[in-house]
Amino acid sequence: MIDIIQILQYSFIQKAFISGSFVAITCSSLGLFLVLRKMSLIGDGLSHVSFGAIALGLFFGLYPLYVAIPVVILSSILILKISEKARIYGDAAIGIVSAVGIASGIILASVSRGFNVDLFSYLFGNILAISNNEAILSIILSLIVLLVIYFFYWDLFSATFDEEYAKTTGIKTNFINTLLTILTAITVVLSIKIVGIMLVSALLILPAVTALQISKKFKTTLFLGGIISLISVILGITVSYILDLPPGATIVMLNAIFFALALTYKKITKN
Amino acid sequence: MKKILFSVIIIIVVVLGGYLLLNIAPNSDNDSQKISIVTTLFPQYDFAKIIGGDKVNVTLLLPPGVEAHAYEPKPSDINKISNAKIFVYTGEFMEPWAHDIIQSIDKKVKVIDASIGIEMIKEEGDEHEHEHEHEHEEEHHHHSGVDPHMWLDFDNSKIMAENITKALVEVDPQNAKYYQNNFNAYQDKITQLDNKYKNTLSTCKSKTIIYGGHYAFGYMAKRYNLEYVSAQGFSPDAEPTAKDMIALVEQIKKDNISYIFYEELSSPKIAETLANETNTKLLLLHGAHNLTKQDYENNSSFISLMQENLKNISIGLNCQ
Amino acid sequence: MTNIIDVKNISYSYGKTEALKNISCKIEAGDFVGLVGPNGGGKTTFAKILLGLLPFDYGNITIADQEITTFNNFQKIGYLPQKHTGINPIFPACVEEVVLLGLLSNKKYQKKIKGADWQKVEDILENLGIKNLKGKMLSELSGGQQQKVLLARALISNPKILILDEPSTALDPNSREQFFTILKDLNNQKKTTIILITHDTGYIGKYANKLLYIDRKLVFFGKIKDFCPSGEVESCFEKSDKHIIWHQHN
Repeated sequence: MIDIIQILQYSFIQKAFISGSFVAITCSSLGLFLVLRKMSLIGDGLSHVSFGAIALGLFFGLYPLYVAIPVVILSSILILKISEKARIYGDAAIGIVSAVGIASGIILASVSRGFNVDLFSYLFGNILAISNNEAILSIILSLIVLLVIYFFYWDLFSATFDEEYAKTTGIKTNFINTLLTILTAITVVLSIKIVGIMLVSALLILPAVTALQISKKFKTTLFLGGIISLISVILGITVSYILDLPPGATIVMLNAIFFALALTYKKITKN
Repeated sequence: MKKILFSVIIIIVVVLGGYLLLNIAPNSDNDSQKISIVTTLFPQYDFAKIIGGDKVNVTLLLPPGVEAHAYEPKPSDINKISNAKIFVYTGEFMEPWAHDIIQSIDKKVKVIDASIGIEMIKEEGDEHEHEHEHEHEEEHHHHSGVDPHMWLDFDNSKIMAENITKALVEVDPQNAKYYQNNFNAYQDKITQLDNKYKNTLSTCKSKTIIYGGHYAFGYMAKRYNLEYVSAQGFSPDAEPTAKDMIALVEQIKKDNISYIFYEELSSPKIAETLANETNTKLLLLHGAHNLTKQDYENNSSFISLMQENLKNISIGLNCQ
Repeated sequence: MTNIIDVKNISYSYGKTEALKNISCKIEAGDFVGLVGPNGGGKTTFAKILLGLLPFDYGNITIADQEITTFNNFQKIGYLPQKHTGINPIFPACVEEVVLLGLLSNKKYQKKIKGADWQKVEDILENLGIKNLKGKMLSELSGGQQQKVLLARALISNPKILILDEPSTALDPNSREQFFTILKDLNNQKKTTIILITHDTGYIGKYANKLLYIDRKLVFFGKIKDFCPSGEVESCFEKSDKHIIWHQHN
């Protein structure tokens, strides 16, 4: 067991724990709002858009991430607008924008006759391969997102709970919705680069859904989601080291186990 | 009124679109005299071009920049293969999808498994290399246990080139001498390359290649008696474990290694992490699966890529 | 008596549908207005326009001496939406938190919630007799209990105007009785102006003092006595407009 403390000497392990934790709390917190708004798959959807956005950037010879971020922000707002105007749920809107994103990427890749790096590689993220810049980025991003959620907590809560009613109390719901959407877009693009799409998708959905099984208050749910995601990352990296498994997948599995446990707990306490 | 206008516009767009599509679709090759060859990966593409010379028209299925292991053929690819005289694929371990395509296309297409006659290396119990493949949207070559990167042993490159030559001679016996001559000349060039490798690599102060990519250079390492350790298994999709990474870091420190190699096309993040952790530098080791856009612009060939590799290995391993 | 809501010639269309045409009325502070009319006649639309949830094409509205287009005293208006809107059964919100949402109209950024606010929540829950439900999840409650919670949410900011959209349709007779009594007390003691949308013409006769009858256009606005001298409001409806679907209360 001394082993585990020893591995902390490696900076990439330290970054895995630190950045992983920050990304986990950010994603799980945003994730609660997304899940309740039926937008759980936005992580996946935006990753497909990123694919197209990166192709676009490469096509014009620009640094892909600089193109990806604004394009993903615009796409996420588009998802919002489509679900409002076309009167479909968020998941269908996500599907539309996501499919267009991937198709654009493929067409661009084909028309441009190739790039210098595999397209998907630009989005490649791995919790064991976090650079110093990415580590700092993850902390800054986390602080910004958590601060915004803290500042607008009640508005976010009210608008997510009952948007129409929220308007009658003077809450600018359009602004709140757009704010949430943009925060999600930025978080998704950057987090994918830091820890990879599999982890981001999982952390956006699972901790929130697990917390939903056992919590009755909104505030508790938000906190619990954060704690669950944090534990899943810290425990996940540790367990993956002990069992010699890939850490990302282990974290996801742990989240699934927590969900199963929460579900069981709910069933037991119902009686 | 608005509805009528809208419908009219749609009809015009559709008609115009149809007209444009029919007219700008690429015309079938006017070089119908040339023998069309379709290859999956770059090495056989290059070999086919050199041996076939001006008598062939070679197409590489992989678009530039696309990573080979994740590639899945599109319907247009299957079309291309069906319309070719010769189809050269690397082998069942690199392209498991080839088998199904072969069943479905015209028997007139001459299908060449470039790995015929080559002894493939089976997976050894290398503690640094694991097969952790996770689901993407594509199919991976799941015949785990066999290293498909045979073209990086130059004897195998010769056999591949020879397989292609045999095919060309069968399909176009009139020009057999032409192809034979080209093959012989090329074979000599590869022998020269091989000798250069042998000579240079025998003088290296370090014998270990640390690779922050997938396990592609097994054949080359075996040939020149080098130790080769990679962060990932046979496919770049594999994720390293913490123990994998730590073991690599420790080895780099223990063996006083100054350079870490990264691969072409895939994200160099893992190599960068290792380099960052150990304060070492990075060098490219090109696996020649496919070319980047830059490689095309530089007119890279298999041999030129391998020469570049040798240069980098010399620096990395401190050779003469 | 002052006019707390002054509606002048309001018209609203969406697409080809003319939802409201030329509605005018002056509601006085302390009025208990029954907003009635046939399905699709525009009752909810009208209420939503008052709440600022829908725009309008022509006309003018003044609420509590403010033009509706620049209205910002949201704490003066309490709203209880129609039952089917709003509550997501998996939403993790306890009664306390939901009721507190009604106080947000009072707050400026950063909208800090203090102990005094939670006390207000307790007080209003106590007033409505549901203090025991404080920590329960909203979706666990019965229909009647949920309505009381949402009423608490609407009332917590001490609004001058209360707008309720069909609050009693899903309630059993006892709960309905309770509910209307609470409203009447509110109206009597605090002079809260109440606008209540309902199909239940029988009940309206008992509690409201004014009637706002909308069927795309204004059919009637004024004292119930003037609409129905006999006091048997149900029967007055039967006679006046055959299109009205009124609910048989059981």
